[in-house]
Amino acid sequence: MKISRALTTDEQIMEAVKNGELQQASVLFDRYNKRIFNFLRQLTNDSMLAEDLAQNVFLRLIKYRNSYREGNRFQSWIYQMARNVFADHYQSNKNKAGSHIDVEKMSDHISDIEENLEEREQLLHRSLAKLSDEQRELLVLTRFQHLKYEEVAAIMDTTVANIKVKVHRAIGKLREHYFELEKS
Amino acid sequence: MEKEKLESLLIDYIDGNLNDADRATIEQELAQNKSTAKLYRQLKEVMDLMANSKVATPGLSLKQNFEKALQAEISKTESSSSAEAPAKAGKQVFFKPWVLRAAAGVVLVIVGIGIGDQLNKSRQHDLEVAALRKEVEDNKKMMLSMLENQQSASQRVMGATVAYELPKADDEIVNALAKAMDEDPNTNVRLTALEALGKFYQQGHVRIKLIKALSTQKDPVVQIALIRLLVQMKEKQVVNELEKITRDGNVMKAVKDEAHSGILKLS
Repeated sequence: MKISRALTTDEQIMEAVKNGELQQASVLFDRYNKRIFNFLRQLTNDSMLAEDLAQNVFLRLIKYRNSYREGNRFQSWIYQMARNVFADHYQSNKNKAGSHIDVEKMSDHISDIEENLEEREQLLHRSLAKLSDEQRELLVLTRFQHLKYEEVAAIMDTTVANIKVKVHRAIGKLREHYFELEKS
Repeated sequence: MEKEKLESLLIDYIDGNLNDADRATIEQELAQNKSTAKLYRQLKEVMDLMANSKVATPGLSLKQNFEKALQAEISKTESSSSAEAPAKAGKQVFFKPWVLRAAAGVVLVIVGIGIGDQLNKSRQHDLEVAALRKEVEDNKKMMLSMLENQQSASQRVMGATVAYELPKADDEIVNALAKAMDEDPNTNVRLTALEALGKFYQQGHVRIKLIKALSTQKDPVVQIALIRLLVQMKEKQVVNELEKITRDGNVMKAVKDEAHSGILKLS
């Protein structure tokens, strides 16, 4: 094999992939597949769909490897791709069905994720479904995926302060929905 | 304090992001104000729930499909780069009469096509073999790690199912399956492992493991499946063991009946 150098950071590995050491993409897959899958799973509330979409993300990684720019954080790049894949999916679904996603219904519907969860966690998922898409995504990234505000700001191409305010508001909203649902 | 500001400070407090002064203010507020204390508890509950939410593992196909796509891309890149590689400039040979030059050209083209074709074929074949070998190796690794997943019985069942789909089982796989069949706490896992072993019955070491299991297996469901399998394989040497089962007072009646019918079929 050509790979004798010890490649450690994601960025070094992605550089190598870009420069023709394609096999190295496997390392990035191993490091990120679970996170990207869980990210998409939380956004879609559907494990099967999340797996398909995650598949697309890693195929894009191979296909568009040349669009990775040196010096950029790999993590931001792959999450941006995951967000694009998710957005593309909903866009094409919308076009096909000609209708919008019914958020109200979504929160009442027990997804396959919820089936195995405890009552409190089910309540959490229903409350999440009541948030706006942006708020839900922010909470998935910062609270479920444990990304720092700086990292999310890089992914969404905005400032850290802006992300922090939005995340705090989203948590506040989530708390309201959660305890309203608990009462009912 | 305005509610949004208070909420934001409480979130930072829970996250451990406050400086000493703000922390002191919040702690004082918490001690004095019941509604703030309630807000704090509620925020903490949803934040803890999010932080401790279960992480799911994607199915096997995700990795398999990715590896397939990667190998395809690697083959594609290699074949296109070899086609684009510039020919090395060698010493130029001139033939004076143009007829000779043309003839040399034609000969070169024909020889080139022949060599290229051969190289291409053997290279393609090597790549395919390597990809296939890697796939089998990956499947095996994945199956072993799934079989060892103590948290999830369904993962272990899936592990045994993957084993079932392997073309051939080496000692490592057979041992892992035999261990699952003998020791797994879940009946479904034990049964699936048995089923997978049954598929590799033609391999000598598998047969030995199965025959041995007949005297050690204690789960009636697996015992019955095992007897059926051995009888189906016409394994005459198990008749003695079956007779022992029929005499064993601790064995369930259904298992004894199966052993009886097995003895009849085999003798």
